[in-house]
Amino acid sequence: MKRFVVYASALCALFISAAAVTAADDPIAVRKALMQSNAASAATSGAMLKGELDYNPAVAKAALATFNASAQAYGDYFPEGSETGDDTTAAPAIWENPEGFQEALGKFQADVAAALEASGKDGPADLAAFQQTVGPVLSNCRSCHEDFRIQND
Amino acid sequence: MLRKLLYAVVPILVAGGMFWLVTEAERLDAAPLADLQPGDPKRGERIFQIGGCASCHARRGAEGVAELELAGGLALETTFGIFVAPNISPDPEHGIGAWDEADFLNAVMRGVSPEGEHYYPAFPYTSYARMEPQDVADLFAYLKTLPPVAEDAAGHTLSFPYTLRRGLGLWKRLYLREEPVITFPAGAPEEVLRGRYLAEGAGHCGECHTPRSFIGGLKDDRWLAGAPALEREGTVPNITPSQDGLGSWSPADIVYYFETGFTPDFDSVGGAMAAVQKNLTKLPAEDREAIAAYLKAVPEVGKSK
Repeated sequence: MKRFVVYASALCALFISAAAVTAADDPIAVRKALMQSNAASAATSGAMLKGELDYNPAVAKAALATFNASAQAYGDYFPEGSETGDDTTAAPAIWENPEGFQEALGKFQADVAAALEASGKDGPADLAAFQQTVGPVLSNCRSCHEDFRIQND
Repeated sequence: MLRKLLYAVVPILVAGGMFWLVTEAERLDAAPLADLQPGDPKRGERIFQIGGCASCHARRGAEGVAELELAGGLALETTFGIFVAPNISPDPEHGIGAWDEADFLNAVMRGVSPEGEHYYPAFPYTSYARMEPQDVADLFAYLKTLPPVAEDAAGHTLSFPYTLRRGLGLWKRLYLREEPVITFPAGAPEEVLRGRYLAEGAGHCGECHTPRSFIGGLKDDRWLAGAPALEREGTVPNITPSQDGLGSWSPADIVYYFETGFTPDFDSVGGAMAAVQKNLTKLPAEDREAIAAYLKAVPEVGKSK
């Protein structure tokens, strides 16, 4: 289990440093990397919720902290001119309806902040507590992707 | 001169008459409908969720109780024009409150209005034609329990020749049938057949996941093999068991996606499927499992060349 935590943390660090390297010149690559870190955190959370992975408060906290880092940064990587290219699945609605996008992003940030706050220094005490804190965070995936993401094969 | 005129006019009249005959709006046989049990709203609610009626007929973005106010208004922007979902609340003037059960069954299963006009197939009655009449009667009973809404949705915005509803009679002859799309060998598991009934009928999965011909009919030989999105940008994925589709997904993966909106890679549901997935969470587990079993049993179809 400990090994998993190390592995998971290393992975998060990798994603975030990958973001730093290319941030300046390639916003599409950065936002993709950030979104992949969200997926990885969702996968870790989901595996514990499903019972495929034993519950561990530190792992739960790592997942929430990764969501938080991504939520804080994500919105900065949709500059004008990055609407298309590199198989982006960002929907035109992001640029056509910037207020709506900001609102969705703000909700994600607020939900993550609340979850992190509720989980305390050591992470949510048990699986039930984790489910309660991470549930609203995960619901943002669907609500935001409904309007702001398209499928491309 | 007169004779020449006659030569010209008669064929036009004959062709026109034939067109009129073959494009007539055909209603369901009345006799079997008379044998239906009184509609059960409780059972009808399940059909309502499987069909995702609220996703088009509730106001856009409606949540909770507001989702049961079926005022219509969702605009489907397609290559044929803009179709707007109508008010189907039980308001007698603006909705379907004045309809009887036969009106409703003919609308849902034959795409025929109480006045005998064709509906446009943006209302997916070619899928609903495969439903059991009793299920549609139950659905009608459930809709009657919802709040009436006294407002009209906008009309469709279409250009010629799509403004001629009568022509849909021909289209229906090509595409409206009660038989299932996918035939399974005798002895196929009950769950798969039940999944087929849900997915091909009320669930109308094929309406988005199957590509269409240039006149808008579904290409059955590429059933569920993915298609360009009908509205907005992008594509609708292949959900056959091919490597381009759900080949690597287990039935449990599909069920988990229906429950949570997460793929096996923890990518998340999005676009028009978000509302569909939300509806799927409201179904009994056995319905989600049946649809998953069906999706693993349909023919594999790969990417189109």
